[in-house]
Amino acid sequence: MQITFTSFPSQSGLRSAYASATKHATEDDEDAYMDVEPFDDFESDSSRLTCPGETLTSAQSFMRGHGTYVDNDDVISSVAGTVERVNKLITVRALRTRYNPEVGDLVIGRITEVQPRRWKVDANSRQDAVLMLSSVNLPGGVQRRKLESDELQMRNFFEEGDLLVAEVQAFFSDGAMSLHTRSLKYGKLRNGQLVTVPPILVRRLKSHFFSLPSGVDLILGLNGYIWVSKHVKESEREGEEGFDAEAVYSNRNDDIDDATRTAIARVTNIIRILAAHSVPLTDVVLLEAYEWAVEQDADVKGLLQEDVSDALVAAVTSG
Amino acid sequence: MSSRIEILNDGGFRSDGRRQYELREMTFDMAEQAGADGSASVAHGLTQVRVSVFGPREAKMRSQTIHDRANINVEVGIAPFSTGDRRKRSKGDKRILEFASTIKSTFEPVIQTALYPRSQIDIFVHVLQQDGGVLQACINATTLALANAGVPLLDFVCAVTGGVHAAAPMLDLTTLEENDLPHVTVAVMPRTGRVTLVSMETRLHVDRFEEILRLAGQAGGVIHKEMRAVVRERTKGLVDAMGAGVRTSDFAEDAMVADS
Amino acid sequence: MAFKSLSKSEKAYIQASLQSNSSLRGDGRSLQEYRTISLETGVAPLANGSARLNIGKNDAEAGGGTEILAAVKLEVEDIEHGERVDQGRVTCSVSCSPAAYPLASSGGLDDLQHDYSTFLDDILSHPSITPANLGIVRGKKAWLLALDLVVLSDSGNVYDAMFMAARAAIWDTKVPRTRSVEYRAQKKQEGDMDVDEEKQSGLDTRQVKAATDFELEDYWDEGIPLVGREAWPICVTLNLLSSLHFLDATSQEEAATPLRLLLVYSVASKSTPALQGMQLLGSGEVDVAQIKKLIQDGEKHASQLLAAINLKLRDEEVRLTDKARLKFASVR
Repeated sequence: MQITFTSFPSQSGLRSAYASATKHATEDDEDAYMDVEPFDDFESDSSRLTCPGETLTSAQSFMRGHGTYVDNDDVISSVAGTVERVNKLITVRALRTRYNPEVGDLVIGRITEVQPRRWKVDANSRQDAVLMLSSVNLPGGVQRRKLESDELQMRNFFEEGDLLVAEVQAFFSDGAMSLHTRSLKYGKLRNGQLVTVPPILVRRLKSHFFSLPSGVDLILGLNGYIWVSKHVKESEREGEEGFDAEAVYSNRNDDIDDATRTAIARVTNIIRILAAHSVPLTDVVLLEAYEWAVEQDADVKGLLQEDVSDALVAAVTSG
Repeated sequence: MSSRIEILNDGGFRSDGRRQYELREMTFDMAEQAGADGSASVAHGLTQVRVSVFGPREAKMRSQTIHDRANINVEVGIAPFSTGDRRKRSKGDKRILEFASTIKSTFEPVIQTALYPRSQIDIFVHVLQQDGGVLQACINATTLALANAGVPLLDFVCAVTGGVHAAAPMLDLTTLEENDLPHVTVAVMPRTGRVTLVSMETRLHVDRFEEILRLAGQAGGVIHKEMRAVVRERTKGLVDAMGAGVRTSDFAEDAMVADS
Repeated sequence: MAFKSLSKSEKAYIQASLQSNSSLRGDGRSLQEYRTISLETGVAPLANGSARLNIGKNDAEAGGGTEILAAVKLEVEDIEHGERVDQGRVTCSVSCSPAAYPLASSGGLDDLQHDYSTFLDDILSHPSITPANLGIVRGKKAWLLALDLVVLSDSGNVYDAMFMAARAAIWDTKVPRTRSVEYRAQKKQEGDMDVDEEKQSGLDTRQVKAATDFELEDYWDEGIPLVGREAWPICVTLNLLSSLHFLDATSQEEAATPLRLLLVYSVASKSTPALQGMQLLGSGEVDVAQIKKLIQDGEKHASQLLAAINLKLRDEEVRLTDKARLKFASVR
């Protein structure tokens, strides 16, 4: 048995912005009020920071986008984040927020509720997403017709707690997203474990499915949910000979050897470390990080030690 | 209830050595707490609170949804050991409910709830230590936690307590002072100077009230400066960590698509 | 916790990894290994003793961890009409921040708090471990030791965390020094202050010859540590998965484990640990022979855990004393 006791870290550093001050309310506090920065330097400084309530520019010459509102002819920020400008459109991007879905996004979700002809899916957004029974492929092939009996046995396909990968299909009038899994790439997830990261760290990539050496597959959901699992051989992919259509809704895992399990745990820890250091996750970064970890021969747990994780982050961000 | 301690001595010092308008040491900590979308710990002197924000997210109870905006749910917990005399309050305690609804009504006009129809924003407040100015600490912590969670706000909300001792106004009262003096908690939105909350449980002369309100507005500005610095520091920390910052081109595209 | 549902395949994955030859856990720990525990005492200046404890918050990871705040408040209690006369007593209650269980309904949270409070109070309020120096005035007044815990976040293994936090707060507690005082009516002779009390009408205070009370002593320190704090119990949760057990489960591991055995031990100096409490959580069964074995294993784990936490608590004591000295020096 191993136990380690430590003290709480002192209040400082990147992840815990911290300030402490004693003030006299009648001090000369001229600068307590907005130091309105001139807007001219806007072009040059692409990552200007702002806070709620800060005036960004005049509403007469610019249009307001996300993260802003207009009051008295001024465009004002409503979130803390970076100011972006495209032509006349001003937006502020918050750095920590729930997932903002867009049509076509690849997401990973967890079933929260089974309702008549639909599932509710948690996808780290402002409301649960909806997956209609008509938006999934049923076992027996793409062309199979939906039967009334399918409605009665929806839990045989997905039940509460199940994880799935899907694409954002459309939005309802109240802003909730609807998902579909009508591709053989999508559907129920098994043979692995989930990691969650802030959604901003997952960028839109050409493909969100990729494999690392040592037999690990990754799915990067744009909502910050990442699935790390055992590699599926090419020959067993959808459409290939070895593909088992009946296994699409299976809850059973394949046999997974210890080496693969270790690799999965290692990748999971790497993702946690990178996320904690706010490193945007791409296939390139993850591959580099994984190779670094293998090269350093860092065991799964050793990665979480502060010096090792710092070195890991330094290694991938410098490249 | 009156104490034997001099609230303001002849030299112009208060019982804890502060001047009339001097605020206590404030600490703002925006470190992430497990699972929350945003959180903050705030201390004013010995008073210490912790706020976690969850959401906007799916409402826990369907009956709570509002079709055209987000529902704000505030829950307050007070640690039994937070006061001088131990006292355990249940969640249904009238004072706690009232306290929660005060916080809710303070933030309802500030959060852009219309952007999130049918969603819910949960604000969980935990009072860990009380030495006066609890409401002020809760409001300041809630502002930071909401900003941390990326919830759109019209402005910061900065609160401060003010009281009057023998015609002399004072700011940021301790429990000792609150027990002895008529006092009021004021929350302001610094950009417009608009007041979103005035909470008073004691009687206060109308002439004094005006003065306190003016002072509280000024003190709110000072507190705002500190809070803003913390939020900026955190934002900067995150941006720097993300490497070369947020690449404009990528996100601009997103924004255009989303906005159209 | 059960509020976070996992899919069947996730559960199966976790179980299979734990049962595999090399017993793999999601974060690379071995079966008998705890996550890093952060501990700080003296965190609540308004309490007589306090501690903050976090299991699993790693510097490399943002957020996370099971975090508990524990504080002790001493209150003077009239015990003239109570049952136990001199000892004083201990009560314990737990409250959970909704932030720790963001998916729980308000009713579910109340139930949970109640379960935690009952389990802890049953064990911790037992006279056998009540500190010996809670009496103030014989037969009249004693300290009521109120131990309050707040669960600020739960990432698994909340019971072990609560007991450790409680132990730390108890360790940090200082009982104020008191001195008995007698109020005496002038005319009566000395020495019989305890006599004839019963005959007096309680309402007619003029007749009372002598009443006994206490005052706080002026002394350089904050008081005396609790006597018998070494024996304060500690909990070891064994997570059972068929024939194997593992320690310090994360919430995912808890969701994938059908059965948990809580074992609470108290170790008075140098003697063998005494089992103070035990509870089986979850659905399933364990046969008696296995339980015996588990209790033995638990004993070993408890001794090691105690050794580790005691070491840390002594460090904290030194740190707090140094801090107080520095503060004193700077004021001067």
